[in-house]
Amino acid sequence: MTGPLRYLLVAVLFGAVAAAGAADMKAGEAKAKEVCQACHGLDGNSPTADYPKLGGQRLDYLAKALRDYKSGARKNAIMAGFAGTLSPQDIVNLAAYYAAQPPVLVVPH
Amino acid sequence: MTGFGARTDYARVLPALIASTAKNTMTLVPPIAALALLALPALVWSQATPSGDPVAGQRKTQMCGGCHGIDGWRTAYPEVYGVPKIGGQHPAYIVKALQAYKSGERNHPSMRAIAASLSDQDMADLAAYYGGTESKTARK
Repeated sequence: MTGPLRYLLVAVLFGAVAAAGAADMKAGEAKAKEVCQACHGLDGNSPTADYPKLGGQRLDYLAKALRDYKSGARKNAIMAGFAGTLSPQDIVNLAAYYAAQPPVLVVPH
Repeated sequence: MTGFGARTDYARVLPALIASTAKNTMTLVPPIAALALLALPALVWSQATPSGDPVAGQRKTQMCGGCHGIDGWRTAYPEVYGVPKIGGQHPAYIVKALQAYKSGERNHPSMRAIAASLSDQDMADLAAYYGGTESKTARK
C-alpha cells in the first residue's frame, strides 16, 4: 500500500472511531484548546514541571480532580479559577479527551 | 612587592603567601571561613530540596505499588475512581503532590497516611524513580 493511501485509511479509521463519541471528544478538545493547553499542552504532555502531565491519565481521576478543584475540596489558586468555569459536561469531555491522548503517563511495574 | 591591585601580582604573591601560611597555619583560618560562608547557601539549598536517587526510590515503593503499580486499579474509599498513573510524571510534581498529602492540603486518607511517613529525601527518591519510568512518547 502506498504512503498516501495508508494515511487516508488511517484517517478514515480514526474518523470512524472518533465518530463513536464525536460530540464529547470534539467538545473536549475545543475546551482543552481554550482553557488547558497553555499549561498542560494540547496533548497533555506538559513541558513544564510546575504542571502535571495529563496525557493518558485515568479518565475518572481527571474528572475527580476537576470536580474537586471546582468544589474547593482540592485547593489550588490557578486550577480553582479554571475549573470554576467548567460545567459538569465540560469536565466529562475534558477528562475523556486527555485520557485518550498518547499515554505519556504509564503504570510502572 | 607593591601594588596588589595589578593582575600579575598574584602570581608572585601567592607562593610567598603559601610559604608564610605553612609557617603559620592560623592565617589559613580566614580563607577557610570565607569559603565556608560561600558554601553555606548551597548547603542550605541542598537540604531544602534533596536531589532524588531513582535506585533508592525503587526500593521505597512497597507502599506505592499495591495501587499505582497495577493496571486499571481503582480506589475503594472514600470515593471510587481510577488510581492515577504516576509513571513518567514530572518529579517536581510528584514531590508537590506528596507534600500536599503530608500537610493535609490534599485529603485522600490512604495517601495522607503514606505521605506522612515519608521524609523529604524519600519523596525526592520516589519522584526520581517514578518520573524516570516514562513512556517513549513523553518529553522530559
